[in-house]
Amino acid sequence: MSWQWFHRLGSPRWFYQTSSRWLPVLSLIAAAVLLWGLVWGLAIAPQDAKQGNSFRIIYIHVPSSFLALAGYYMMAIAGAVGLIWKIKLSYMVMKSAAPIGAALTFVALFTGAIWGKPTWGTYWVWDARITSMLILLFLYLGVMALQHAFHNADTAGKAGATLALVGTVNIPIIYKSVDWWYTLHQPATIKFTSAPSMHMDMFLPLLVMIVGFYLFYAVALILFTRSEILRRERKTSWVRQLVQPETGQKA
Amino acid sequence: MDFYFENFQDFLVMDGHGIYVWSALIITLLVMAWLIVSPLISRRALLKDVARDIQRELVRQSPDNNSGGAG
Repeated sequence: MSWQWFHRLGSPRWFYQTSSRWLPVLSLIAAAVLLWGLVWGLAIAPQDAKQGNSFRIIYIHVPSSFLALAGYYMMAIAGAVGLIWKIKLSYMVMKSAAPIGAALTFVALFTGAIWGKPTWGTYWVWDARITSMLILLFLYLGVMALQHAFHNADTAGKAGATLALVGTVNIPIIYKSVDWWYTLHQPATIKFTSAPSMHMDMFLPLLVMIVGFYLFYAVALILFTRSEILRRERKTSWVRQLVQPETGQKA
Repeated sequence: MDFYFENFQDFLVMDGHGIYVWSALIITLLVMAWLIVSPLISRRALLKDVARDIQRELVRQSPDNNSGGAG
């Protein structure tokens, strides 16, 4: 009995129907928080004493990097749940997390490159942090490629989950890269163990942007998972009833 | 909570850093828009597919159309 919620959570139909109710509210909140953070960060926060206004790229670079990493946890954990409990929905979540993570990793690398030009004088260096983020992008692309390499969805899920789990070895390397190899990339601005190394007027809008990116990630992941559910369950009666309510009653 | 810049012109230029800040923002917004729009497009296409399948089966099942399919 106590495991009932767990199995319901694993039901694609239940996920689809519940997310239909929550999606509009969540999307509105995400859009509002992102807009609030952007206006605060770009137009109201003071400029950096050393970097000038180019530092404002932090308000998209750091949140997208956060989610590029958090999205990898999401993908790897969903893959592990699929491997252990054989829940179909978790493979669908894993498959959906891959393109979102890849896109956010690309954003992190791209905004970092643009930020590098006025700050370091170059768009790209083979710095440890940047190189390990590039590897993260390739891991995401690898999981995506594996999803398309198999006809059988279950085999594709297992293969993707295995690669995702092996790839987690890269995550602590990314976190620690700025400390282990002290090259060009600046150390972390935000740490759980100490106060942020920036003024509150600059830090608070960054916090709002990070929350906004988390909300955005949730919306995107739900959207991708919903279309993946439809793709896999298009033959089932509940999807048919969704499209044409009267067909279900006849049958 | 005041506008940091002198005027809107200053806000756009950002002491010469505007080009970096705004191009980073535009790329980010484009990618984010794609992340929202692309699952919506594929969802719509899938629902259309399901509707077409249902129509096809209804045509096949109805007794008036026993003699042949469409076209």
